[in-house]
Amino acid sequence: MVSNSDFVGRDIISVGDFGREELLFLLDAADRFESETRPLLAGKVAAALFFEPSTRTRLSFESAMGRLGGCCIGFAEGGVSSQAKGETLADTVRVVEGYGDLILIRHPREGSARLAAEFAGVPVVNCGDGAHQHPTQTFVDLYTMRRECKRLDGLHVVFVGDLRYGRTVHSLVTTLGHFDARLTLVSPSFLRLPKELRRELQEREVDFTEAQKVEPVIADADVIYVTRIQRERFTDPLEFEKAKDAFRIDNTMLHKAQPGVAILHPLPRVNEIPPEVDSHPHAAYFRQAHYGVAVRKAILGLLLGQAGEDTA
Amino acid sequence: MSRQPTYKVSALTQGTVLDHLRARSALRALRVLRLPPDTTIMVGVNLPSKRHERKDLIKIEGYELTQEEAAKVALISPDATLSIIREYDVVQKTELTLPVTFRGLIRCVNPSCIVHEERVPGLFRVEGNDPVSVRCEYCETSFAEEFFEFL
Ligand SMILES: [Zn+2]
Repeated sequence: MVSNSDFVGRDIISVGDFGREELLFLLDAADRFESETRPLLAGKVAAALFFEPSTRTRLSFESAMGRLGGCCIGFAEGGVSSQAKGETLADTVRVVEGYGDLILIRHPREGSARLAAEFAGVPVVNCGDGAHQHPTQTFVDLYTMRRECKRLDGLHVVFVGDLRYGRTVHSLVTTLGHFDARLTLVSPSFLRLPKELRRELQEREVDFTEAQKVEPVIADADVIYVTRIQRERFTDPLEFEKAKDAFRIDNTMLHKAQPGVAILHPLPRVNEIPPEVDSHPHAAYFRQAHYGVAVRKAILGLLLGQAGEDTA
Repeated sequence: MSRQPTYKVSALTQGTVLDHLRARSALRALRVLRLPPDTTIMVGVNLPSKRHERKDLIKIEGYELTQEEAAKVALISPDATLSIIREYDVVQKTELTLPVTFRGLIRCVNPSCIVHEERVPGLFRVEGNDPVSVRCEYCETSFAEEFFEFL
């Protein structure tokens, strides 16, 4: 049985550290924390070390901390920090742990959050370490799916776009393996899910198929998870123009989908979802961003020993 | 009576014998060990073996491998045996084994890994035995022995 004590003081580094029951426990906590307005974290300080900018993640954590009565300190760019003066990450962490009750870290190097956690005496939350992990984003994605679909088990999830470089996609496909999901992976051939990940899915007997067109595969989709295809990935600008049009979702296409389909996107979006889709009742990507606050409230609360239960 | 071909390698006065190395791993092991250039070394490759079909063998005259060097050999050829010889006598014989986790010895294969920037020794978890493969505990990249770059 998972309990609150499993989370108190814990580091949140990689989704691989969380099993099915722990994930469900976290999502349940997010349900409770969504409406939580008591200053449970009054007097608590989160120290945000953002060695590269990420406005959304930072704002989402600041909002979560603020809504629970705590506050956030920190910097938002490596250039102005001690890193520019040649200080090691280990030293920065050892200094900052004295300033906060937990550390939020975003860093371009893979594995940096785990390293920070080794040196910190307070819990560390990974807010993105290079191409490696961004676990709270994955929790938000799962939470959104459960909220929008009213269940998490046995969903058919269609991933569309850049599946090769998309960190959010990598974490999410492996995590969905805990929930008996059926995955359809739609991407240009050179932006397929990496081979090692496909092998991992096979070994774990996760049901997945690959496709190169969106339209034929969305009829029974419960979730369509769209990601941005970046121009930088293409050597040929013409190929980019073709791909950008081929891997977008519009209202005509959505007529072929189930009425209850949830459309997710980690944002920011560019062309892959045109504004006409925004009014679709199940265009969930802005709600997804908002759920981020509830999920992060739950994480902050649990790590700092507040379960958010109704104590009345 | 078996008619196994015999081979002759002269006995050591003192030094180290690595026996039961995986076939064709001896030269890799020697490259990794970087022994002093004037060391006398005898190497047998693809020798007949009772345990496995073939094995390699290394005899190093006048040099006793350190624990760290032995640990590196274990990553290339787990289950090899290491004997320390003094005055023609085996004074210590150990079976090499793969650790569950280990620090240092090799570099993480991922150029974006934090360990390269922080200059902390890597931390690895052994995932496979044949071929040996590990996972970096920081960036979680898995890679096999052929990609090991020894320190
Ligand atoms: Zn690494």
